[in-house]
Amino acid sequence: MRFLVLLREALSTTWANKVPTALVALLVAIMCATTLATVGRTAAAEQQVAERLDAAGSRLLVVTDTRGGDLITPAVVTQTRGLSVTERAVGVQIPVDVTNKAIGAGGTRVPAWTVDGDLSEVLTLTAGRWPHPGEALVSTTGQESLGMDDPVGAVQLASSTQVGDYSVVGAFTPKEPFGAYEAGLVIAAEPGVPSDSLYVVVSESGVASAAQSAVLGLVAPPEFDSISVQSPVALAELQAEVAGDLGTFGRTLLLGVLGAGALLVAIVVLADVLVRRKDLGRRRALGATRGMILALVIARTLLPALLGGALGIGVGLWLASRFDALPPWQFSLGTATLAVLAAVASAILPALYAATRDPVRVLRTP
Amino acid sequence: MLAVRDLSFSYTRGGEELFDGLTHQFTPGKVTAVTGPSGRGKSTLLYVLGLMLSPSQGEVTMSGESVSTISDAARSRLRAAEIGFVFQDAALDATRVILDSVIEPALYAGWSRREARSRGRALLEQMGVAARADHKPGEISGGQAQRVAVCRALVTDPSVILADEPTGNLDRDNAEGVLAALTQATSHGRDDGGGRTVVIATHDPFVLEHADEVLAL
Repeated sequence: MRFLVLLREALSTTWANKVPTALVALLVAIMCATTLATVGRTAAAEQQVAERLDAAGSRLLVVTDTRGGDLITPAVVTQTRGLSVTERAVGVQIPVDVTNKAIGAGGTRVPAWTVDGDLSEVLTLTAGRWPHPGEALVSTTGQESLGMDDPVGAVQLASSTQVGDYSVVGAFTPKEPFGAYEAGLVIAAEPGVPSDSLYVVVSESGVASAAQSAVLGLVAPPEFDSISVQSPVALAELQAEVAGDLGTFGRTLLLGVLGAGALLVAIVVLADVLVRRKDLGRRRALGATRGMILALVIARTLLPALLGGALGIGVGLWLASRFDALPPWQFSLGTATLAVLAAVASAILPALYAATRDPVRVLRTP
Repeated sequence: MLAVRDLSFSYTRGGEELFDGLTHQFTPGKVTAVTGPSGRGKSTLLYVLGLMLSPSQGEVTMSGESVSTISDAARSRLRAAEIGFVFQDAALDATRVILDSVIEPALYAGWSRREARSRGRALLEQMGVAARADHKPGEISGGQAQRVAVCRALVTDPSVILADEPTGNLDRDNAEGVLAALTQATSHGRDDGGGRTVVIATHDPFVLEHADEVLAL
């Protein structure tokens, strides 16, 4: 039998037997919709938890030179940035208070952080230009506090013992986890000046421990108490555990939904095969091979499964949108593909049963 | 030529043997009626000849070649192309129109749908049921259904027609019509000019009376 003729036969049989067709389509649609509304929501929840733990510092390692021993040099910052487990790394000096130079010492004090390294890893430039060493950028909040109409001007140290001016050449918004910088200014560090703290954002929470070891190796403190470490390892482990638990739950749920759906589809297909045994026996008697019967039964399941998959994705996405947990399109497409494959796989045994029945026995059974 | 040699068959291993080593050649161009008391295996012989059952002993030959031991797929292909079946209850697909039922074996034999439909329409015309080509089986009479079944058996121009009690459910007029169609199938011969073998399992005296040959089991 030619492929197109076989397809037409399958379509014709699918259309003629509306009850099993509708049942298979409905079951596959329920499989898809349930998966998207449950597993998809779990995946979205996993993503949200990961983002929240990221924000809480599951990827942030802070090494502080507690004795001012010039441990965190620009070279250490550069080397740390070059590690394969590092996403971003900057050196930061202890913040100082500054006031608007145009107002003078009586102006509002705002904090200023001197940062050594690539400033684009800490903030986004929103106005003006990138600062040269010794120049500063101001945040929106800092600008308001300082009473500056525009992010241009100068600030001065508020200390009575130190003197220093910094030109303000633009505005910024901080990137996470440097959100605290929204309160004031960021000053580009002068070359060769060591930092007080090293801020490292590791590439993923799973490598936090390895990253910590590597960074401490670069900082090389002479004694344990010459540095303090704010470690992300505990949070990273918690994130891994939560992600693992959610992932296991999601996989179990997915297998449960697909397994139950496939079982029901298999029952529907088997019942259909039993009801249509005379039809299948007649086909065998008239010359259909076992392969043709197998292909017909499977194609006859595939066609409504495709319809059900499309329907289920539509309903599932609508449900997921109501929970505000829309999964990515790859997940939706993968879910539909899995559901259709599960339906087709579940039809194989009933199809084999149909193909291997003795046509004579079937034809002679009243 | 269809023939059996030293044929026996049993539905179960060690069970009752049918045919008792039957040897027979079915003459092409003739209607052979297979008759005998109930339980002697008239229908079973047709299923063995139609390669749906394998003999427990002996063989079935077509054109001199043994075909009872070939693979299931090869037997299916042979059934589609070379053997036409007429069942007692016509066995038409209730969900499709008459013409689509007629062309079914041709599709299994690998014909294109277009050539199968063309051949099917010609046969329906020949049997006087062309007007019902687009009707469902439920919309035609038993006699018409059986003539449609004969068309289906002839659609691939097979060398053998096997009919299992084709007149069993019909009144005399319709039985005559169906028997005439089967007889016509032998006398018209095949497209290649050769004779067609028709074997009818029956206990209908009317069929026995009009058959060319009778094989009593």
